[in-house]
Amino acid sequence: MADTELGTHEWWESYKETVNSDPEMDVRGHDKFSENFYVEIGDERVLLEMDGGEIENLVPNPTMNHQWSFGVEGDRETWEEFVRETPPAFNHEIIASHYRTAVRNEDGHLQLTGDNKRIFQHLRAFQRTLDLMRVAHNDGGS
Amino acid sequence: MTESYQPGDVEPISGSYVHVEVEGVDHRIYFEENGPEDGIPLLCQHTAGNNCQEWRHLLTDEEITEEFRVIAHDLPYHGKSVPPTSQEWWTEDYTMTAEKFTETLVNLADALELEDPIYMGSSMGGNIALELADWYPERFRALIGLECGAHSPGFYIDWLDHPEVNTTEVNAYSCWGLMAPQSPEQTRRETMYLYEQGATGVFKGDLYYYSVDHDYRDKLDQVNADECPLYIANGEYDYLTTPEDGRQTAEGIGEGATAVEFAEIGHFPMSEHPELFNAYITEVLADVTGDRDEELPDVLEPDDVGIELHQQGPAREKPAE
Repeated sequence: MADTELGTHEWWESYKETVNSDPEMDVRGHDKFSENFYVEIGDERVLLEMDGGEIENLVPNPTMNHQWSFGVEGDRETWEEFVRETPPAFNHEIIASHYRTAVRNEDGHLQLTGDNKRIFQHLRAFQRTLDLMRVAHNDGGS
Repeated sequence: MTESYQPGDVEPISGSYVHVEVEGVDHRIYFEENGPEDGIPLLCQHTAGNNCQEWRHLLTDEEITEEFRVIAHDLPYHGKSVPPTSQEWWTEDYTMTAEKFTETLVNLADALELEDPIYMGSSMGGNIALELADWYPERFRALIGLECGAHSPGFYIDWLDHPEVNTTEVNAYSCWGLMAPQSPEQTRRETMYLYEQGATGVFKGDLYYYSVDHDYRDKLDQVNADECPLYIANGEYDYLTTPEDGRQTAEGIGEGATAVEFAEIGHFPMSEHPELFNAYITEVLADVTGDRDEELPDVLEPDDVGIELHQQGPAREKPAE
């Protein structure tokens, strides 16, 4: 997976397989993590339609016909840091990154958007889903 | 050196309860200790919403406990320190303040009759080192603020105590990114497991002190580090109080304040990577006792203390074909 460019169709499909076969998601998803969220890498947005802790569909460029609860936005360079095998401090996890953006007003970090209540209701499963981007990107996927 | 145990081994930690008066009320406080009775007392404060188990690897470090009497306690409402029996504590929100926090620590040191103790705490326990240096500099031999800063805003969050949120899980995993990803997964997971044991509302109540009440940005000249040496040691991956925040705080205090960055570790150093932390803190303690000849460096790296980092891999191994 390391040779596949972040955000390509092939990359997303491998990532989906990684999430859907992850044993921790079976526990942390509790069959209840069904909140859709989007990931925006630079100008490219992909909607992850979740069903019971699994990615049911990946939707590039979602429109008003789609529904989501929250999202994560960042430039490509920030996401590339996030998925590194040993990511640098502050871009190594979503809350870490969002804190530097939202509280410290620093550039170069990820930002959460949308319904905060939904984020915290599903924090661990959502967080694990994002962490698995790093697994997929570094040849840890199935 | 961090111990490894075999079945049948009994760890040399002992636990006791001591009664301590705080704000005129008797509190039953649990503490664990190891080390010689006449060793230098080293009083260890856990992070917000956690308990003394965070220090279990320091408590069993043979090298450190040869010289120091390591004592780790549970603040009231945390771990085994139940709320005071004389209070209707369930009729009000738990809220920690700087005044209550410092009084608890000083009165605990008095109750245990600790002579010239070193204080060490992380996160909220690190920040309170500034208030201790300001208000009680005569009571301590030295203060070690781990993950310490003059101001740490933004973590007093309503979702950490909300009826429609799984606060057991959220209180833990809102902290997940405070640790370095290269710290061993087993000890990172254990740190979060300890967080999942906190009572409802206590983590948020602690964070009132941490993110609201504690603000020394304009008061650093009040900190008496010239009277009581103050060490500020912040982990590279601590996004709340960064090593740079630590340096600025030490510079603002001036004489007696020393900042050192702990590389490749995060906000829960003693529990997220005990082997590395114990090696780092040995260097700081040697400076406190005068056993270290050279000044502490600006940055302590694993190589400096003879620790080889665990091989970092993806958060999950690739399954066999």
